[in-house]
Amino acid sequence: MTIKELNKRKTPIVIIDNSLEKYKDVILFPEKLAKANEVLKRIGLPKLHAKKHHR
Amino acid sequence: MKLLRYQLKAEKSLMVFEFISEGPKGEIPKIIEFTETNLNGFYNLAFGDKDKLTGKLNDKIISNNNDAEKILATVVSSVYAFTDKYPDAWVYATGSTSARTRWYLMGILKYLDEVKNHFHIFGELNNDWKEFEKNINYDGFVVKRKKN
Repeated sequence: MTIKELNKRKTPIVIIDNSLEKYKDVILFPEKLAKANEVLKRIGLPKLHAKKHHR
Repeated sequence: MKLLRYQLKAEKSLMVFEFISEGPKGEIPKIIEFTETNLNGFYNLAFGDKDKLTGKLNDKIISNNNDAEKILATVVSSVYAFTDKYPDAWVYATGSTSARTRWYLMGILKYLDEVKNHFHIFGELNNDWKEFEKNINYDGFVVKRKKN
């Protein structure tokens, strides 16, 4: 694959690196997570407006 | 032609990514983490520098490695990778400082048309979610992949 093609791809090619397994299930940025939970508690989820389907 | 974003590495579940920023300050490892919140399916996106010696993470440091756009493009691409695997996930992000949140927002604006093609995107403003629009300083934002 050329660099041009790689740049055009939306989804990147990701290399699986087992050395990163040590971070799995570890909260690396607790302040950010606490903030996200606080926002969720305060305002909940956005409402998605489903498109109307005509038959 | 150069790559517009960095090569991403991840563990198998694609919840934790790593890439290496390259610039005048040398190589700086960066970690991106998607963490599930108290609500199933709602994830927080955070990223920061990994200290090469201690392995400790810092999401407040400004590394000034002259590659801010490439970093942002890399983080955006990690959201594509993550939501490819977890298409129903909501992903929330905010900056560790208001300046950094503005930096995120500027980055989103650059890709807004493209992002809107693939994601629902809402900004956090005055204790509510608003459909994302240009030129508004949101406190944070959330995206969800659109169904094809």
